[in-house]
Amino acid sequence: MNHEVTHAPAFSMLRVDLQPGETLVSEPDAMVAMTDDVELEAKLTTSPDAGVGTSLKALVAAVVRKFLGGESFFVSHYTAAGGSIWLAPTMSGSIVHYPMKGASITLSSGAYLASIGAIDVLARYGGLRGILAKEGIFFLEIHGQGDLWFNSFGGVDVIDVDGSYIVDTGHIVGWAGDLEMNLRGAGGGLVGVFASGEGLVCEFTGQGKLWIQSRNVPSIIDWLSPLLPG
Amino acid sequence: MQCELLYRPVSTIAQIRLEAGEQVLVEPGAMVGMSTNIDMKTGIPAGASGGMLGKIAGSVGRLLTGESFFQNTFTAQNGPGELLLTHELPGDMVWIDLPPSGLKVQSTAYIACTTHVQMQAELGGYRTFFSGEGLFVINATASLPNQKILLGAFGGIQKMPVDGHLLIDNGHLVAWDGNLSFNLTKASRGWISSFLSREGMVCRFTGQGNVWIQTRNPSEYGTVVGRMLPPRTN
Repeated sequence: MNHEVTHAPAFSMLRVDLQPGETLVSEPDAMVAMTDDVELEAKLTTSPDAGVGTSLKALVAAVVRKFLGGESFFVSHYTAAGGSIWLAPTMSGSIVHYPMKGASITLSSGAYLASIGAIDVLARYGGLRGILAKEGIFFLEIHGQGDLWFNSFGGVDVIDVDGSYIVDTGHIVGWAGDLEMNLRGAGGGLVGVFASGEGLVCEFTGQGKLWIQSRNVPSIIDWLSPLLPG
Repeated sequence: MQCELLYRPVSTIAQIRLEAGEQVLVEPGAMVGMSTNIDMKTGIPAGASGGMLGKIAGSVGRLLTGESFFQNTFTAQNGPGELLLTHELPGDMVWIDLPPSGLKVQSTAYIACTTHVQMQAELGGYRTFFSGEGLFVINATASLPNQKILLGAFGGIQKMPVDGHLLIDNGHLVAWDGNLSFNLTKASRGWISSFLSREGMVCRFTGQGNVWIQTRNPSEYGTVVGRMLPPRTN
């Protein structure tokens, strides 16, 4: 597998060249172009070798992903005897490649773009802190081995956390490693929460990698909505 | 005439430098700035069939493509001058040599061209092609060599060489060489997978040539953002 991300950071596009036998999985409607020899199939699960016995489990996982994880019911499977696929997310932003080596990674809902290999994407209940963190009720928990690509809104930065780090709500793309996420005020007590314009922030403690995005969708929607004619 | 693209790829502006007497045809609304010795005239562009009737027929066709009925002609008088042109969407631009076989252009991508480019709306057969998107195809051909056309896109622009076949999602099309043939096809072998993958119909190009694509899909972007906005009250 060869891959390249072009047009970063605002309009990133991913090109993947498949070797015979490899299957690329992506969120639906992400395909920009593909060579003629690529076969596209819609499936319930991101894992390419799921047999009939696992289909019920896959269906349940797909339902949870769709209605709670902000992702789609079906995913696209691309297989080729050698061919290329170009993918792009809907919103403006960047694409990150992350090699999966057995440890899991957590992504905010909607950040999954594509994967190759034995990779499972599950929705995990994030509870009240997920809602308050403006990241949705569910996070995506991704396990397995292979290659993962995820997308951000705006530019993306990776932070090596050793100890603790604070990120504004809405700017979390994902995290990996031994990190715990908690909500807290940005400072200045109760007045700070309401008057600083920072409100609640997320504090990560432990050791690991943290991806943050330079823009957040709820903010731009909040800015745009009052400008629309009534 | 020289064209330099500034502030690429997000907020691209085309800076066109005209020698004395040189002219360029521009889509109305695209001009951002110009030297004071540049004269602007609004008119009906020449249709390929020539004559007044041909001009009007060509213009009505352009109206149907979502392009303007009128084109503005900018002329540098008494010396060189510069003209700054923009596009309504954030994204990149390309300044292309018109290929001998002509260029098919997705209608909202067109910004400007040199004066010996003929543009005709192609209506038949494209209705289902860009269904519901209000987009049509312009067939741009040159009556003299060395003609140029300026196109703008939503997102980055990538030139994709076709040698044989290539499948492209309709919403990402900007332009393609006139000698490429194409047909609409299912994205997947089966109808069900095509539908469930939400790729539906895609465009399958055949031949040797280039396709220019945009890395974002405007209607898909609009649909996703639209769902998050408050509903219209009227």
